[in-house]
Amino acid sequence: MKILKIIPLVLLCIQTAFTGRLQVVATYGYIGDIVQHIGKDRVDLVVLARGDYNPHIIIPKPSFIAKMRRADLLVINGGQLEIGWLPQIIKQANNGAVQPGERGFLDLSMHVHLIDVPTSVSRELGDVHPEGNPHFFLDPDNIPAIAKAITERLSELDPENQIFYETNNKEFYGLWQQHMKVWEEKLKPLKGEKIVEYHKIFDYFLHRFGFVIAGTIEPLPGIPPTTKHIADIEKLIEREHVKLLFQDVYNPQDASSYLAKRLNIKLIVLPHDVGAVKEADDVFSVFNEIIRRITQ
Amino acid sequence: MRVKKNCILPLLLLLFFMSESVLHAQSREGSAFDQSKFVPDIAFIIDVSGVARDMADQKYTSLTIPGFGFPFLNQPSSSGLNAHRGMNFNYGELSLYSVVDPYFDLFAVIGLAPEGAGLEEAYFTTRKLPYGFKVKIGKFLASFGRVNEQHEHYWDFANRPLIATALFGEEGLNEIGAQMTWVAPTPFFLVFGAEVLNGLNEQSFGNLGFSDLTGGVAINAVQGPNVYIGFVRSSFDLEDASILFGISNAMGTSRNDQGYSSGLGNAIDVNTDIVGGELTVKYSLDAIRFVSLQSEYMYRMMNGTEYTDDGASTMVVPARTLGKHHSGFYVQAAAMIDQLWEIGVRYDLLMQNEVSLGGVDQQMPSNLPRYSAMIEYSPTEFSRLRLQVDRDESRFVQVSGKLSRQPYTQIIVQANLTIGAHGAHAF
Repeated sequence: MKILKIIPLVLLCIQTAFTGRLQVVATYGYIGDIVQHIGKDRVDLVVLARGDYNPHIIIPKPSFIAKMRRADLLVINGGQLEIGWLPQIIKQANNGAVQPGERGFLDLSMHVHLIDVPTSVSRELGDVHPEGNPHFFLDPDNIPAIAKAITERLSELDPENQIFYETNNKEFYGLWQQHMKVWEEKLKPLKGEKIVEYHKIFDYFLHRFGFVIAGTIEPLPGIPPTTKHIADIEKLIEREHVKLLFQDVYNPQDASSYLAKRLNIKLIVLPHDVGAVKEADDVFSVFNEIIRRITQ
Repeated sequence: MRVKKNCILPLLLLLFFMSESVLHAQSREGSAFDQSKFVPDIAFIIDVSGVARDMADQKYTSLTIPGFGFPFLNQPSSSGLNAHRGMNFNYGELSLYSVVDPYFDLFAVIGLAPEGAGLEEAYFTTRKLPYGFKVKIGKFLASFGRVNEQHEHYWDFANRPLIATALFGEEGLNEIGAQMTWVAPTPFFLVFGAEVLNGLNEQSFGNLGFSDLTGGVAINAVQGPNVYIGFVRSSFDLEDASILFGISNAMGTSRNDQGYSSGLGNAIDVNTDIVGGELTVKYSLDAIRFVSLQSEYMYRMMNGTEYTDDGASTMVVPARTLGKHHSGFYVQAAAMIDQLWEIGVRYDLLMQNEVSLGGVDQQMPSNLPRYSAMIEYSPTEFSRLRLQVDRDESRFVQVSGKLSRQPYTQIIVQANLTIGAHGAHAF
């Protein structure tokens, strides 16, 4: 009887397709949330990836194609974070509006400064991104630039609502600056603290607030930890007096909890996107929750 | 992987791109007209395997699946994947992809083997047709069912499903032609497609004309497109499960000649109608682990006329009606158990195998199974090692006109590696 359940859904979607609202597809939850803050009820938004999954490895579900087919605007993280799953979705959607290079295609990585741009690229070094570390969203200082890029593009595609989008962006910017002050205050005591993370996903956050990244549990980006590497990290943690271990929600925690128990240091699981943990339900609460978990 | 003795094209391409980038490195000023930034995405894949089999190579390469091929027997093939005991170089695959301009994409795959090279696929697609339409023109793997369109390295197993091999051969249905798809603006995935193909695939189609030496029989070659395909696919999500299903239909003419025109052999002129159904379910257990179920069913009906020239009589042997009904399916289940390991099992069955010639049933064996299991280790997405075991009970040899079943067991250790810029795979 699943078919019967689909019928009202079909009617609903056909209805929204003719509302005239801009149809926006965002690859990740944080992008969707910023679009929502700017576009509010004047855009129809769909987010593709689940926030608690590995952003590099998303199953390219055919349902994404249907969503892409109807989109006026596709907003991606870029920096090759979506390279493993999104290109085929775009190709199969038969939608000229969201092809790379079109105005309906917005790559956010073009609007922020990427760190760790490799001088030479080799897959000997694991899953490296030639454009630099793509997890730039986790520097809260990048959020206003992202919101601005989204505001400009929404205004360009939907000029009738330009003032609406710009007003919302201003409001969002003010709110964001208030939060930034609070976050900076809370993290001040931890400046210079040495940490180890599982994957190089929290680098932007850690750089922004003055943490020192002593090492990663992955020997190379995207390569699961080996026994030898865990032993090396163990030595490093002791030598460098690391007290904090940061881990994302989607990778296995065996190696991290082993190290945490053995060396009696704190393992903290942090959200990396909206929806990664239930407390992180928008961009504000992602950072609130990261900081709450680190400081508690 | 069929190879043609023509390795000049890929070599020239490689040399071209390499020399371009070397020039680029030498001098900045000298690169005023440098175009190396426009080099397409280039990837190279190799697939090698070690095979242990309880059957000598000579016998293995003479095996056939009775009833399915022309006119009754599959042509024994030694060019298939993992054909030899010991080491096999299955294929090298050079792929090129780039945007042509704002209006077109171009994609090419060149199959390479020690003996030479062959153009496996080369086609362009439109980028900007309105209303959800897209056109694809060139040489490509037909979008019939699920596995046919996929390149070998995307499969969960080291070999093609049995029914697909029996109906389309080791290379699959790979034709020159045009395709049009339309993605419906529905909230769930729904795509319609049509293909017009030359239809030279000998296993199910063919466009050759033939005639009797005495001139009593003269069948013209098919002019123009010979195969028409229609397909529809849809998908929806239930919680963390994605369900993709569809049906495909291929219709065309099978006109083939093996020696008939030169006085000794057979020829056929039949209409072929193939229907396929497909179902794929992928269920994510968490961010890394998933289980998948994939199955395809295919049914083929052929009706027409068979001609024989026994080489002895001076009279034309009367043409006989030829009717064939074939069906089969495979079902496979695979599970990604952690970041590195995947396991899977597959069951293949050729069900119907009915061949009637001049109204007389040819007593072909039916219900022919194959069983497979695999375990796969992928250190990264660019390298993959696989151990597969097959028990195949579908093959026969023909000894003095009598068919005798030749089951065999094989163990395949396969390595598949990719370098360069290789595009993301579809679902």
